[in-house]
Amino acid sequence: MHDEAALQEMRTRVVLHADRVAHPSSMEFPGNFPGEDLSWNLEEFKKNFRIVVGFIGKDDMEFDMIGVDAAIANAFRRILIGEVPTMAIEKVFVLNNTSIMHDEILAQRLGLIPIKADPRLFTFRRGANDDPTDLNTLVFKLRVQCTKNPDALPSAVHPADKYINSNVLSSHLQWDPQGEQVERFANDPCRPVIDDILITKMRPGQEIDVELHCQKGIGKEHAKWSPVATASYRLLPDIQILKPITGESAKRFQKCFPPGVVAVKPNAAGQLEATIANPRKDTVSREVLRHAEFEDKVRLTRVRDHFIFSIESTGILPPQELFGEAAKILINKCNVVKAALHASGALVAPQEI
Amino acid sequence: MSNAPAIHEIYLLPEGVDKVTEIKDTKIPNAATFHLEKEDHTLGNVLRMELLKNPKVLFAGYKMAHPLDHSVDLKLQTTADTSPLQVLQEDINSIVKEIGQIKRKFENELTLHSMQSVEPTNGFTVDRAY
Repeated sequence: MHDEAALQEMRTRVVLHADRVAHPSSMEFPGNFPGEDLSWNLEEFKKNFRIVVGFIGKDDMEFDMIGVDAAIANAFRRILIGEVPTMAIEKVFVLNNTSIMHDEILAQRLGLIPIKADPRLFTFRRGANDDPTDLNTLVFKLRVQCTKNPDALPSAVHPADKYINSNVLSSHLQWDPQGEQVERFANDPCRPVIDDILITKMRPGQEIDVELHCQKGIGKEHAKWSPVATASYRLLPDIQILKPITGESAKRFQKCFPPGVVAVKPNAAGQLEATIANPRKDTVSREVLRHAEFEDKVRLTRVRDHFIFSIESTGILPPQELFGEAAKILINKCNVVKAALHASGALVAPQEI
Repeated sequence: MSNAPAIHEIYLLPEGVDKVTEIKDTKIPNAATFHLEKEDHTLGNVLRMELLKNPKVLFAGYKMAHPLDHSVDLKLQTTADTSPLQVLQEDINSIVKEIGQIKRKFENELTLHSMQSVEPTNGFTVDRAY
């Protein structure tokens, strides 16, 4: 019985020791355990797979993905960061720039401004030979001049009071609709996601006059096209108390974890006892493993197929749509390879031997 | 910057290059290497995982030979009653089904969640880990 439990533990949990992490990779493969058919089938997957939405904010969300392999969770994460397309400023035509910021730096900063425009309504511009059209390019103009504020009090010290346009902000970007873009984006005009991103600072007499061309791209090429601030996952912590921890020791035990993880309450015998209240809050710092008094009393583990997924969008697309897009991209990748295998012709000989 | 590789090399398949080439192993029976152009760990690892879950697969592994070389080599050996190509095709179909299932489930849970909570909490009232 004990061996059975140990085996189950090994199969479902990643165990954290002070100096190493034990059995991190999945072992649920056919042939690994006698008498068990662990081959993949859709019905079995449907039965075990669960998604629990934790919260959805304006720009971020957290959900639990339970019952998948790390490869799938990681593929989603990688695609969210690097392969879901967005629109970003790619070309900056500088007509005039007398600010102290060099053209290159200015262009780099402009590129990183998230542009609120649905990337699904645009096409990729493939290379320099592909002419810019209203389907693959968005045009913005940034024309700002800094002047003295004639109404400023002589006692004014703050630049914002003394001058007009001393701060160049993302709200100064003016969308210049091309072709049919006025009609296509009538309900949702293209604009920067956030209006108060500081681009540069100016003083009276300085001027910036640039034309900006946005193109569709992916985060793999440049991080400015990444639709997420971060997309990450972690495994659900599972803290196991092996022997009761009571009295003053329980309080010290509680201090080894972030607030809220361990509760200290009187047990049936009226003694203070530590229990695990909310393992999700644990950062798995392994502090508890440094104390000799808790040796053999606690085991830190993580559930191997329980991913706590968090998506923080830059605000271009809501996070819940980003996940759907990522799934579509992954399916598309598979279909491209499938089609290529078909095209290689070898498919028509299924039984070779 | 003059000798920097063109950035589109990461994802754009050049004309005349096959997306997938099968190189049959001459020494091991029922074994082949699939060379996938313009793919990386995203697909390589998912394929490896799915292949390992197939009882007909004796060996499956992948490598990205060089970080500047945007291609993946997938090595695969199967039992005698099938072929690596056939197994790969079957398993790609399973992956598509699996991802489709994840997507549907996610969308279902979203509608359920939106019916329960009226306004977006933006994470402040919800019990968050950090």
